[in-house]
Amino acid sequence: MSVTDTPPAPPPTAASVPADAVRLGHWLTLPAQILILFIAVFPILMQLYISLTDWSPLSGRPWPRAWELWNGFANYADLMSDRRLWSAVGRTALVMIVCVPVQFFLGLGLAMLFVDDFRGKRLFYSILIMPMMVVPAVAGYMFFMLFQSGGPINDIFGTLIGRPVVIAWLSDPTLALVAVMIADIWQWTPLMFLILLAGLVGVPDDQMKAATLLGANAWQRFRTIALPRMKTIIIIALAIRVIENFKIFDTLYIMTSGGPGVATETISVYIYKVTTQDLIWGYVAAIALVILIVLSVVAVLAMRRMAR
Amino acid sequence: MLSAGAKAAIYGSAIGIAPRWIRPAWAAELAPGMIGGPTGFDGAERYQYGPDTPEGRAVEAARALKASGQAPERILMGLSDGSIGQLTQPFPDGAPSIKELWERETGIMIDIVGLPNGQEFTRVMQDISTRAGGMDIYSVEWNRLGDLAESGGIMNLDDFVAEHRPEWDDPVDGYVNGAQGVALLNEYRGSSYGVSLDGDFQTWVYRTDLFGDDAEQNAFRDQFGYDLAPPRTWAQLNDIAGFFHRPDQGLIGSSDLRNQGWGYTNWYQRYCSMAAPNQFLFDDDATPLVNSEAGFLATQDYVASLGHHSADAISWGWPEQYGNFAQGGAAMTCAFSNLPKFLDNPANEGSQVTGLIGSMLPPGTQHGDGIVSRSVLWFSLTGMVSSQSQHPEVAYLLLQWLGSARIYSWMTANPGGYLDPFRLSCFADPLVRQTYHAYHMDNVRETVARTVPTINYPGATAFHNALDENLMAALTGAKTAEQAMADTETTWNQIVRRTGQDKIAEAIKSNKPAWPTVVDPA
Amino acid sequence: MTRSPVFETFRYAAILLALAITLVPIIWMTSMAFKPVSEWQATGADLTWIPKRPTFENFRYLFGQSETTLIVALERTATKPILASLLSAGFGTLIAMGAGTAAAYGLSRFGSGGNLPLALIQLRLFPPMAVMIPVMMMWAFLSLMDTWWGLALIYGIVTLPFAFWLMKTFFDEMPREIEEAALVEGCTRLRVFLKITLPMMRAPLASATLFVFILNWSDYLIALLLTTRQWVTIPVYMSSLASSMTGQLYGAKAALGLIAAVPPVILGIMIQRHLVRGLTFGALKQ
Repeated sequence: MSVTDTPPAPPPTAASVPADAVRLGHWLTLPAQILILFIAVFPILMQLYISLTDWSPLSGRPWPRAWELWNGFANYADLMSDRRLWSAVGRTALVMIVCVPVQFFLGLGLAMLFVDDFRGKRLFYSILIMPMMVVPAVAGYMFFMLFQSGGPINDIFGTLIGRPVVIAWLSDPTLALVAVMIADIWQWTPLMFLILLAGLVGVPDDQMKAATLLGANAWQRFRTIALPRMKTIIIIALAIRVIENFKIFDTLYIMTSGGPGVATETISVYIYKVTTQDLIWGYVAAIALVILIVLSVVAVLAMRRMAR
Repeated sequence: MLSAGAKAAIYGSAIGIAPRWIRPAWAAELAPGMIGGPTGFDGAERYQYGPDTPEGRAVEAARALKASGQAPERILMGLSDGSIGQLTQPFPDGAPSIKELWERETGIMIDIVGLPNGQEFTRVMQDISTRAGGMDIYSVEWNRLGDLAESGGIMNLDDFVAEHRPEWDDPVDGYVNGAQGVALLNEYRGSSYGVSLDGDFQTWVYRTDLFGDDAEQNAFRDQFGYDLAPPRTWAQLNDIAGFFHRPDQGLIGSSDLRNQGWGYTNWYQRYCSMAAPNQFLFDDDATPLVNSEAGFLATQDYVASLGHHSADAISWGWPEQYGNFAQGGAAMTCAFSNLPKFLDNPANEGSQVTGLIGSMLPPGTQHGDGIVSRSVLWFSLTGMVSSQSQHPEVAYLLLQWLGSARIYSWMTANPGGYLDPFRLSCFADPLVRQTYHAYHMDNVRETVARTVPTINYPGATAFHNALDENLMAALTGAKTAEQAMADTETTWNQIVRRTGQDKIAEAIKSNKPAWPTVVDPA
Repeated sequence: MTRSPVFETFRYAAILLALAITLVPIIWMTSMAFKPVSEWQATGADLTWIPKRPTFENFRYLFGQSETTLIVALERTATKPILASLLSAGFGTLIAMGAGTAAAYGLSRFGSGGNLPLALIQLRLFPPMAVMIPVMMMWAFLSLMDTWWGLALIYGIVTLPFAFWLMKTFFDEMPREIEEAALVEGCTRLRVFLKITLPMMRAPLASATLFVFILNWSDYLIALLLTTRQWVTIPVYMSSLASSMTGQLYGAKAALGLIAAVPPVILGIMIQRHLVRGLTFGALKQ
């Protein structure tokens, strides 16, 4: 096992490729290009257009006539002072800052326990990665039941401490956020575990043995030999979770619908609610475009770093 | 029941393929002089109709349109999943289903487009905004009438109403409060846009076994100094709910909802009874009145009453509420009028409260020597005709037929769905009184007489969302009652400005006569 | 390497704790799927972990076979939603894999489509919720609303980045000698791709396909907005499982959840060797 630190061959440049190959290359990439254009061009143009208007499906005219409700940059100005939006942004960041590191350290800890062989390893491994296989929406329904005040989780706590526990997880703003984070950690720690274990197993055994002979303890071996070799893997694992966690919706929405109040509203949930309930679509378009611009900058910067 | 439903669906699609113009065979079973209606069960003649009735006119006009090729093969009707059964399941034994009957009488098929419960408005907005044209008829919450009419997504029905005369204001079997009731349920700014198909007047029920128990009665009298009986005031409700609140024994005092999108129906009831005869939400010039003593008191009581609710109350919707009540988990609750229909029902083996449900008026507030008790109309599915429909007249005729005195009573008695009684004809109907129970039906009628309308003018969605958000903040302790009401007032003022003060003021004025004036002697 | 008994004890204790936490929701779901209505109630003093009277009723109910009168009749059985999920996820995977594999080969071998890596990363970064309004407009305009093929198309686009990145790393590391030899023998480049490269890549293709399928199978949000009735998928259908007789149909939901877990579990086992690679956009080999 190894990481593709070094690309096997540099991608051929146009000059070195014969004309027939260039032609075939174009044909081969065409479907993907069309799909990307298909999903990018119209949505961006439409959002740009209606984001400059007060258009809503309730406004009594189809969207091409949105110009009748032109409001200039009012939506963008509103967006700056929209407390609910910014608290959703902050909450999304909070969920990410808590969940991703917890998933990482739990995954890493578990992976370190699984590096060498022991009785039951395969079985334990198979069980530990099961949460990833549960459809997120289904996990949402399960956790909704688990977190009821008279539900199984309180039942377990009650059994452990010997008296009934009544914690209203989903009715308390703070605990509801904790509950949705627990659900996310439950579902995605296995992913970290899987990736990091693959990385750890890839560290050459002989180097570790040599270090042991030199008197290095486990922590020193991990820090000086394993960690540097796993840098890329760790970055990939973190990047994947950050990207997916940023979009968090399914499990969370089914568990709390963003509630109580707005206590668990993340960016995706907020946009969903504004889209389907408030129906101020010009405003939603403005939010979407701002997100698109911010994420594009992030993507370009990330690609630059990757290229280096 | 299940297999019967499945079979009905199959038969439904097989029968009525060819329209039968000349007195069809089944018509022989009709009572003399009748041209249509259900047959095959005792009392079926109550639901049969002659030629010059709203039902008869609807069917004959639909037939005529069909004959002249101006009617479609099928009408697409969007309807909540939970209510489809009332159209597709035959009831009672021996009867055709509603859908089957319409198809047999007119030759026009009904294709029901199921809408997930709670997502009716979202789905309809999707259809309107994308111009998908997926439905001829929308069934949406009554409150959305103003918003949808303004959006241009639904049709003005005035011409059809004038031509086919639905007689909604009939004093014997029409809407409660006659023309006033029609204006409230079906009209927006003086024009008909909807046909009411539901009666979601929030009604209170209690557990007769608990209230009637000698030991409980004695203990209660010792503790509070008066007799245990269904509460007449909010103060009494709090006493009694607190008394029965025993979460460690799986019993909570009251489970009236506190969640998003529904909880405020119970805030409304407290707020609107704060003055005699009514505490209004807006002044006549559209100034919000909630940031006031009445608003604070109602909100404080609404929040404090969480003490006798489930610890999960804020996250419970009606499915949790019904499930809990069926398991005998609450002493009282406020729900749709259909709760006894489903839970006091021998066919529901899962219900532990069959035969143990009582019905009561909403609690109120004492003013002088009178008690003002107010319920609220919320949700209540209403049929509307899509502006995209190619056959709006046929769509309207189906609605006129469905919402008529005879057909609607027959339909609402059917335990297969959620559409609830609202017409005078329903309250007196033996079949309805059987499934909804006589003890409940009289009380529902009295509750209707004490029901205030929720906001139904343009911006209704935005007004309610603002109220909802602030009440949730108060419930979770993020805001005080005073803050929540002040913030609601601020947002409401913004919405009024944005929507146009004149437009709102006009809508408020036309809504006001629909508020009840009944005050009960203390 | 030998470990101290202290370490071994610690290891088993830690792993058992992790297993317990992992299994609680799964055991709960499995047990709920076999509980009769009277035991569904998630709250209350008589909470049961193992069904007292285990039954298949929940599964039968989903397919319209139940005899119970407890529940308002199901207007739609779970058969069509399962079919919708299979078709949309299946064909979505075909679209993503077809376009992704071809593009990956074009970039890897001929340097075409240099913009694709960045464009596809952006596509994956962007929350789908934020473009759903224009997508709804487009889908309605193209009559793709509430169809499995419309859903398949958007799934194909959303998972295209995974298909592309996975296949690109596979192509990058595949030795080119065989392709070059075939070229020398006079094969056209297209023929080489179709008749030599693809057959050689059968195993990686299969694992990438299954991986993309699992991703598509898991979707909830997109189906929630793009399907209404005819072709709702399993997770959307699941939200309609509630009745006024019993409240939430927990048992039926759990039973459907178990059914929904079957394809990912089976496919996950089939591609266990390549799972890590798929999850890391192909960056990690195993």
